[in-house]
Amino acid sequence: MRNVAIIGIGYTPVFVSKRRDVCIPEMISEAVENAFQNSGLTPADIEAVIFGNMQTFEGVNLPHLWAADYIASLGKPVMRVATGGTTGMSAFHAAYYHIASGLHDVVMVVTYEKHSEGDAQVGLMGIITPEIMAMLAAGIDVTGQKGMGAIGGGSAGGISYQASSYLHHSGAGIEHIDAVAAMERRNAAKNPYAHLKDPEATAEKIAQTPLISWPIRFGHVCPTTDGATVCILASEEKAAKLADKAAWVWAVANCASDATTGNLIEGIITDPGEQRPATIAAKQAYERAGIEDPRKEIDYVEIYNGFAHQTLMFLERIGMCEVGEAHKLLEKGELEMSGRLPVNASGGVVSTNAIGTSALNRVTECALQIMGQAGEHQVEKEVHKALAHGWGGLMQYVTITILADKPKKL
Amino acid sequence: MEETRQVQGTWDLSTFKFRIEGEGINNMLKEMKEAKLLGNRCHQCGTVYLPANFYCRKCHIAIHEPAEISDHGEVMSYTVGYADVRGNPLDEPRVSLMVKLDGSDTWIMGAGEEMKPEDVHIGMRVKIKWAEHRVGNLQDMESFIPE
Ligand SMILES: [Zn+2]
Repeated sequence: MRNVAIIGIGYTPVFVSKRRDVCIPEMISEAVENAFQNSGLTPADIEAVIFGNMQTFEGVNLPHLWAADYIASLGKPVMRVATGGTTGMSAFHAAYYHIASGLHDVVMVVTYEKHSEGDAQVGLMGIITPEIMAMLAAGIDVTGQKGMGAIGGGSAGGISYQASSYLHHSGAGIEHIDAVAAMERRNAAKNPYAHLKDPEATAEKIAQTPLISWPIRFGHVCPTTDGATVCILASEEKAAKLADKAAWVWAVANCASDATTGNLIEGIITDPGEQRPATIAAKQAYERAGIEDPRKEIDYVEIYNGFAHQTLMFLERIGMCEVGEAHKLLEKGELEMSGRLPVNASGGVVSTNAIGTSALNRVTECALQIMGQAGEHQVEKEVHKALAHGWGGLMQYVTITILADKPKKL
Repeated sequence: MEETRQVQGTWDLSTFKFRIEGEGINNMLKEMKEAKLLGNRCHQCGTVYLPANFYCRKCHIAIHEPAEISDHGEVMSYTVGYADVRGNPLDEPRVSLMVKLDGSDTWIMGAGEEMKPEDVHIGMRVKIKWAEHRVGNLQDMESFIPE
C-alpha cells in the first residue's frame, strides 16, 4: 500500500437550509471550483472522481452522471458511493483505495446534499423498506393501524432509544446532552461553513426547546442542509510535487452490524446504544495506524453526531475515554476548542447536515486542523493526529479515518 | 433570487413486496392467534430469533429449531414521544419500549401502556397485552404493560 495525502479541500460558500439560487450541479460546481482555487490544481490534474450523496433524498437518479461536466469528470473514471450517513467517508475511503493500490495518483471526492429539493423524511423511511423486522425495530407503521408495529417515529424516534440507553449506561443526564449541543452551536458560530450557529448558546437555552422523544429535544437534532464538499487526494510522490501542505491518511476502517438487533456481533448489550461497529472499526484503525494509546496519541476528534448525545457516546465507543467518562470530560471543559481533547470544533453534524457531505466533512475538518487552516475554529493545541468518525446505515454502520501531519513510515 | 422548483411527492410503501423472513413472520403470526410467540433457535450457537430467522446471522447457516418465547420480558431501552413524525405535538406523551422477551436474544418494540412516563426505566419487567379478538397479524400484540 502507498501513502495517500489530502492536498485540496473545497466547500460551497455557505451551508444553509435552502439554496434557491442554484440547481444541484451548479451548487456542486461551487465546491469543485473552490477546491481547485484552494489547491492550485486544475481539472487536468484529476485522474478519477468518486461521487457521493445519499440515495433517493432529492428524488433524482444518477446525479453523478448528469453532473459529469460540473464535476470535471468528462472522459474519466467515475464511481458513485452511497452508504447512508457515512456516504462521504465511504467515498473518501474509495478514493484512498484507488491511490493506495497504485491504480491512480490524484483522485477527487465530490459529495453533496440539496435537501431542499426533496423530502428527507421520506428518504429516511426509505431505508427501512427491505426488511419487515427492521420496520418493527425502527418503528415504522406499515399498516396505518395501532399496534406494536406503529411505534417510535422516524430517525429521531429510533435514535431516542439509543440516547436513552446511553444515559442509562453512562450515568450522564439530559443536561449533558443540552451542554454538548450548546458547545457545538458555539463552535459552529466560528465556522463559516456551518449551518446552525449560535455564539450565545447555553445548555439552559437548549433545555428550553421542546422535547420530541425523550431524551431528545429539538435543540439536540441536526438540521437538513444544502451544501457540497470536495476533497482531493494524492499519492506521496504527487503530493510532494503538487502541494505545500497536506494531511496524511494513516488508517481507514469500517464495520457494519445487524440492522434489526443492532449488535448481534459479540452480543453484549443488544440495543442501538452499544454500537459495537464503532468499537471494532476504531480498534482496527488504531492497529493499522500503529496507535497504541489513542487517548495520548490522538489530538483531535470529529464525531458524526446527527444527534447531540452521540458526541459523548461515540467518544466512549471508540475508546477515547472510559464508558461514563465523556460527560465528565465535558464538565471539565476538556472537549472545548481550548481543551485537552477538542471535539467537533466545526460544530459537528448537529449544526450542519448536508448528509452526503457530513461524514466527509469530519475528515476535511480534521485535515484543516492538522494543516492549521481551520481559521477561527482552529483549536488551541497543536494537532499531529486526528480521528474522523462516520455513522449511519439504519443505525449500525461506522467508518473511521485517522489522519496525521506526516506521511506514515511504510 | 429565482426560486428552484420543488416537486412534491410521496412514496407508497404498499407498492413494495416484503418477502424477507416471510416464513418466520408467518409462523409467528399463526401462533399469535393463540396468544403465543414462536421463534427459532440456532442449533450451533443457541441464539434465539424472534421473529424466526431461518438463517443464523452469527453462524451463517440454515436453522430450523422452533423456540417458544415468553410474552414477558425486560425493557432494554425506551423513549417517550412528545411529537409525531412530522413534528406535530401529541395530546398525550406516548411511551415506547424496546423489550427483550424471555427466551429471545433479539428485541422487539412496542407501545407501553398503563405506565406513567416518569415510572418507566431500563430493566423494568413488562408483559404483552394481547388483543381480545386476535386475527393473526401484528396488531394482536396491543402493547406492553407492567408485569
Ligand atoms: Zn448460530
